[in-house]
Amino acid sequence: MALMFMVMLSPGQAWAELVTLDLQPGLTARAEYRPGAGDKPAVLILHGFLQTHNFPTVHNLAEGLAAAGYSVLTPTLTLGVTHRRQSLPCEAIHTHSREGNMREFDAWLRWLRARGHRRVVLVGHSLGSAELLLYLQARRPSAVAHFIALSLVDTRSDFKANGLDQLRQTMQQRAARGDRQAQRHSLSFCRNFNAVPQTFASYLAITPDSLAAAARGLPIPATFIMGGGDERLGSGWIDRLRGTGKTVIVIPNASHFLDGEHEFELIDAVLSVLKQIA
Amino acid sequence: MPTLKLQQLYALFLLLAMMLLAILVIYARMSFQHIAQRAQDEADRAARAEIVRAVDNLGLRLRTIAEHLAMWDETRQHLANPEFYPLWRDVRVRDTGALPTSMRIALYRPNGEILAREPAAALPARLPHKGDAAALLKWDGAQPWLYYRFPVRVHPDADLILGYGVIRLDPLAEIRNLGPFRYADANSLSLVPGAVQIQRIADLAPYLQSRTQPNPILTAALDEVRRLSVYAALLALGLALAFLYTLRQLVVRPIRRLSAEIQALRDNPQAQAAGVAGYSTNLFELQQLRRSFEEYHQRLQQLHQEIQRSSQQFYQQARQDALTGVYNRRAFDEDRGRLEKDKRVDECTLILFDCDHFKAINDTYGHPLGDTIIRALATCLTQALRADDRLYRLGGDEFATLMPGAPIETALVVAERCLEQVGRYDFSQHGITEPVTISIGLAHSRAPFDLTTLHRHADLAMYTAKRPGHPKIAVYEHTLGGLASLVDNREISAVYEAIRQPQMLQFRYQPVMRLSDMVPDYCEALCRIRCDDQIIGPGAIFAIVHNRRLDVEFDLAVIQAVQRDLEADFPELRQGVSINLSAPGIVNDKVIDALLRLRAAFPTHKLVMEITETALITQMETASANIGRLREAGCLIALDDFGSGYSSLRYLASMPVDMVKFDMSLIHLLDKPERRLHALVEDIVRMVAGAGYGLVAEGIESASLLDQVVALGFTHGQGYHLDGLQSAAGRG
Repeated sequence: MALMFMVMLSPGQAWAELVTLDLQPGLTARAEYRPGAGDKPAVLILHGFLQTHNFPTVHNLAEGLAAAGYSVLTPTLTLGVTHRRQSLPCEAIHTHSREGNMREFDAWLRWLRARGHRRVVLVGHSLGSAELLLYLQARRPSAVAHFIALSLVDTRSDFKANGLDQLRQTMQQRAARGDRQAQRHSLSFCRNFNAVPQTFASYLAITPDSLAAAARGLPIPATFIMGGGDERLGSGWIDRLRGTGKTVIVIPNASHFLDGEHEFELIDAVLSVLKQIA
Repeated sequence: MPTLKLQQLYALFLLLAMMLLAILVIYARMSFQHIAQRAQDEADRAARAEIVRAVDNLGLRLRTIAEHLAMWDETRQHLANPEFYPLWRDVRVRDTGALPTSMRIALYRPNGEILAREPAAALPARLPHKGDAAALLKWDGAQPWLYYRFPVRVHPDADLILGYGVIRLDPLAEIRNLGPFRYADANSLSLVPGAVQIQRIADLAPYLQSRTQPNPILTAALDEVRRLSVYAALLALGLALAFLYTLRQLVVRPIRRLSAEIQALRDNPQAQAAGVAGYSTNLFELQQLRRSFEEYHQRLQQLHQEIQRSSQQFYQQARQDALTGVYNRRAFDEDRGRLEKDKRVDECTLILFDCDHFKAINDTYGHPLGDTIIRALATCLTQALRADDRLYRLGGDEFATLMPGAPIETALVVAERCLEQVGRYDFSQHGITEPVTISIGLAHSRAPFDLTTLHRHADLAMYTAKRPGHPKIAVYEHTLGGLASLVDNREISAVYEAIRQPQMLQFRYQPVMRLSDMVPDYCEALCRIRCDDQIIGPGAIFAIVHNRRLDVEFDLAVIQAVQRDLEADFPELRQGVSINLSAPGIVNDKVIDALLRLRAAFPTHKLVMEITETALITQMETASANIGRLREAGCLIALDDFGSGYSSLRYLASMPVDMVKFDMSLIHLLDKPERRLHALVEDIVRMVAGAGYGLVAEGIESASLLDQVVALGFTHGQGYHLDGLQSAAGRG
């Protein structure tokens, strides 16, 4: 795997390296890497659904953590687009899947290990935290010392529980038949998620129940930092997360993006969690 | 310069004004068109600049679109995995607005192969561009297509080219959409057909052509100029028509009416001008002209009336005798000419009046008194004539009146009334003691008239009336034709010829018998003129002589002719001869000298000079002196025609004559039965004889009359009765 480094100069900010990671021929992923102190765990922050590492919540948090001496890697999932630099619209033709994303997580964790980071804290925002949670549940990587989920959504769906299961099964069956017809579906906040059955089916696995279950069964410490004013969350979701036995931090009045005046509270909250790890 | 009517002049002016207006309009329009052409050139340049700018904008837009597409993750997504490339190309590109719907895109692999086959081969299967050319133009029939190529890299600065995108578009439609065009007409935009070799979008500009949009302002201005031209023409036409109407109403019509009125006044100068009220005009100048014309016409009428009065006066004066106030010779001639042409008059009488012995009166009493006599005669005649009769003074003491339609009987009544009126007039109030009488001659004719002949006839009649022993009123009859000599040119010529050639004169020597022994004592030379085998008698001769005032000349001719006969020793003349001398002759020295020479030539012959008493009245002293000279030379003087004319015993008493010849009118009284007349003659004879004069009786035409004169004591006698006796004695 060839690595290509690019250095970006951000005045007044920590040094950020633009790194690329060739995942397969014709598909290269991009990320920013902010090296920190060697005695501290590296932090991998994953952006929300279809976003990039340039998303403000991710970017600001990375800056904050880097400023605190932590090595921070903020990858952008390719979603099947090489060198993806832009958020991928819901209406774009989506052929990616959670499985492909998990492979990219694996690749980036390997990349961190190759850079000497033995302990890694995974931080995800929004649906990105959901993907990391399910990734940890599925792969249980040893290098991950802690998982911090920011604004973990419950992926509310218009489907009823049995309807969702039936849809997921239908999509899985179509995918199994090699059906590659892209269709528009409603997924979380994407009302026109134009995806092939395989893609849609993979993301339909993210459900409140699967997330709650994954949280409960997570073998590593996990912290859920939630916005007190997050209107995207379903009713009782935070409480349900609290019911998982994991730490739940609620930043009062913070929105789903934990931005603005709550940006520093977020950083403080994450740093407090990271200090506990140290 | 030819004479022009006012309307013609106006039409000429109007034509010139219209031509000037047309020239002005044409000049204005040409100037404006020149400006418009300049503006059009500017607009063409601006339109061209717009096209070039639009091409630049198209290039910029394509670059922007291409950069966006090249940097778009989804472009790389489908370039790397063309599974859903058609969906992306046909839907996503549209839905995201990454490519306008008017354009079409195709992705090509780095080796130039198209990523997926194009429906209907909208784009070629292989990259059509060559080299580094970004743009390519191809024609699909009449439709030009522009193919814009851009590379797709990982990132803009990367060398690795992931593939190419090619955008196909209709360049003309795109350029049109890049408007708005202010100058260029986008609808007319076209590419020069044929091979268009371009490398860049900017290379398109030279091949584009378009019309320039009409400048709305210029177009509007040109329309406005045209409209204003039409309005100006209509306004000019309207003004011209209005002016023509006004000119016609205010000027032409009044002038025409004024002209017609002047024409009417010319035809009928007595007509009155219609006046300002006759027609209306609001033009002050025409009103002034009208008033001036009326004043002029009034003045002209006044002058005309004055001229008419003067003319009438002159006419009357020209026809009026200045002395008497009656009509003159000119009026007589005019009236005579009119009368000749008047077909309504079927008969006419001409009366001539002549004062007897007027010359003697005039000479005796002087011209002023003669004029008084003339005026008095005119007054008398005017009073005697009928109211409508005109009295003409033909000259001297001669008057006339024409009486158209009057029969001779009526004229005679008038003539007698005139004679009586003159007779009643008291001429003594003017210092004239002798009676003033007139002789009247009348001539009558039925239509058609020859008033010249009528006048001659009246002349003859008047002369008849003048003759001693004739009534003072004479009517022309054919028997008076013998007196025609007065008016007969032939006889007048003969008299003149005889004066020049006295040998033409012939005499009938009538013996004057000595009654005591009945022996011719001498002969009286009674002259006549032979003319073309005709004899002109003494009546005609002396009428002409007296009328033409040829007395002296004729006396000299007679003396010369008598001398000829004396020299020829005519038997009748052996005892002596008596010669009638005219009154002018007795006072003429030439005549007296001729007689004295005749006396000297024939001293033994008895020469008797017979003079009329009228001769004695005029220049009495001269006459007396001459008579004295003749008597001294041995001539005898006989007073002729005693009793026929003036019979002034006072004159007779002082007359230096030797004999008195009693006129036959007096002698013939002896044949009258009235005793009174006999006694009168006897007394006169006795009185004259008692004064010592020898007595000669004329007109002895019978034996009884001879006896009576002998008995009365006449010493001499003559007459055809005595001629017969003398012839018988001669024959015996």
